[in-house]
Amino acid sequence: MTTAAARPSSFMTSAWRVFGLSIGEMLWSRRTIFMALVVGSPVIVALVARIVQSTGIAPLRVNGVQVDAVSMFGAMIWILFLWFIVPVLGVFYGTSLIADEVDDKTITYLFTRPVRRGAIVVGKFLSYLLCTTLVVLPSVMIVYFLMVPLSQIPASFISLVIDLGVLGLGLAAYGALFALIGATFKRPLVVGLGFVFGWELVTLILPGYLKRFTLAYYLQTLVPHSMPASDTVSLLQGAVFRDPPSVGASIAWLLLAIGVSLALTVRVVEQREYVLEQ
Amino acid sequence: MTKQTRLFVAVASGILVVGLGTGLVAAYVGGFQNLTIIGGDGPDELVYVPADARFVAYANVRDVMDSEVRHKLTALQPGTANPPEQFKEHTGIDLETDIDYIVASASEMSDPTAGEPPLVLARGRFDQVRIEGLVLEQGGTVEDYKGSRLLVQEEKKLAVAFLEPGLVAVGGPAAVRASIDTKAAASSVRNNSEVMRLVRDIDDGDAWVVARFDALTGGKLPAEVASQLPPINWFSARGFVDSGLQGQLRVETRDEASAQNLQEVIRGFMALGRLQSGQHPEVTEFLNSVQLSGDGKTVSLSFSLPSEMIDALGALRAQRARPQPAPTPAPRPDAPPAL
Repeated sequence: MTTAAARPSSFMTSAWRVFGLSIGEMLWSRRTIFMALVVGSPVIVALVARIVQSTGIAPLRVNGVQVDAVSMFGAMIWILFLWFIVPVLGVFYGTSLIADEVDDKTITYLFTRPVRRGAIVVGKFLSYLLCTTLVVLPSVMIVYFLMVPLSQIPASFISLVIDLGVLGLGLAAYGALFALIGATFKRPLVVGLGFVFGWELVTLILPGYLKRFTLAYYLQTLVPHSMPASDTVSLLQGAVFRDPPSVGASIAWLLLAIGVSLALTVRVVEQREYVLEQ
Repeated sequence: MTKQTRLFVAVASGILVVGLGTGLVAAYVGGFQNLTIIGGDGPDELVYVPADARFVAYANVRDVMDSEVRHKLTALQPGTANPPEQFKEHTGIDLETDIDYIVASASEMSDPTAGEPPLVLARGRFDQVRIEGLVLEQGGTVEDYKGSRLLVQEEKKLAVAFLEPGLVAVGGPAAVRASIDTKAAASSVRNNSEVMRLVRDIDDGDAWVVARFDALTGGKLPAEVASQLPPINWFSARGFVDSGLQGQLRVETRDEASAQNLQEVIRGFMALGRLQSGQHPEVTEFLNSVQLSGDGKTVSLSFSLPSEMIDALGALRAQRARPQPAPTPAPRPDAPPAL
């Protein structure tokens, strides 16, 4: 009779063990301070808006017209979360999944364990996903309840649920892509920031099919709020919504991007020979 | 997982669960007003609309009637004919108080151009006895049609039937009979995937319409205009009414080339509008809010008419309506010097 411990661990069991190990490591790292600052800022903005509103002053006016709470919340989802927090967290955490182990020269310790290298990638990705979603989504929830009055919840609650789903999907998609970049490139952070603030911004504005090779193009079509209108973003607005994909197609492409990126990351990590510099 | 990590996971998950729970309860109590955002199937009354409908329209009468925009627009047109009053006169139904929302449709068989009105299904609160009395008073007859009490005014080609408690069908006699048949045979427009595909995309609006383009125009477009337009199959529109007005128009052309051509035509009109609107900043602002987009065979045009723009239009109209001061008589020229 063989015991469970004597059998080689299955892929998912190994991934689960790596996940348990990594989640604490990731959560209590120095990056957490950065993440707390990033996701804490919308909460502070919402709190200030709420306090200002309670004094009878409109916190936001556009062309002299008071912006209602749900629209303000929608604008925060676009500007703070979708355009900044999700991609930035994806870059900082995603690229570090494997690259940090290489930089710290600890990857060899992981690889000496009797688990598949791919399981390490999947476990670390799952811990990234849990860590970021458990920080970002509660932040969105707090912002929502700070900004939106109870009377407006029935009309906006479904949008909130969709927002949470879209942000979760965005974190997964960016995380998987940047995990691949982290496993492939020598300076993944530079490449990642270049992708988010260079490639995605430029291709979304350019006419043609290039925007289909961005994650933002598919994510933005899923957002239930209208894009905040201003002179600076109207160009982007026109570009993104000139040829929008359907909701089903967007979700399918994002899931495909997650699957392909993770599979490629597993392949890269399993095939690569890591020679650590002394 | 350390105790500290477990505590963090528990607190973060707790915030999510409590937030979602609170929101769910508040939304349930408030009636999930935007549930259609995740893909509705249109109003329930569509089961009475025949599958061969050429147009289907919906209007949340309550929202429209209570909206600030409607009050402003009513104030802009004092003394004009009041369609709600005329409707009340004919049917005994008060649009202001009795109706929550309506669904209207016309199918191949009932041609509105032949003088028979389209089918209108109204959901609300109706005094059946009073409405019946009014129809009979105006020469109507009562007949039983497959278990439903049908009030018919042959002269006006109008029929009224109470299909369910709180649901009345008004329209041409053939259309009302067809609606009863449609429900009985379960062969409604919900089985028409082409129409429903368009309905699902727009049914979160306060008012919306899906129509075959030919049904919409009734072939009455001037030949010069019709010849300039690329072939259009379907038209849909939705509007949101509150203190302002937001709308989206969408057309489906026969092919992608036609969609491109149509976009060019619309861009041309928009450019022309901008040229003409130099003296009117409110019109320029409206034109700036217009967004044109396209996807394959679909061309979309969205616009926004904010509250202050409606106010500006009202002020402009009031200014034009104000009687101009009578011109002062020209000073009489001095008498010619005596010779």
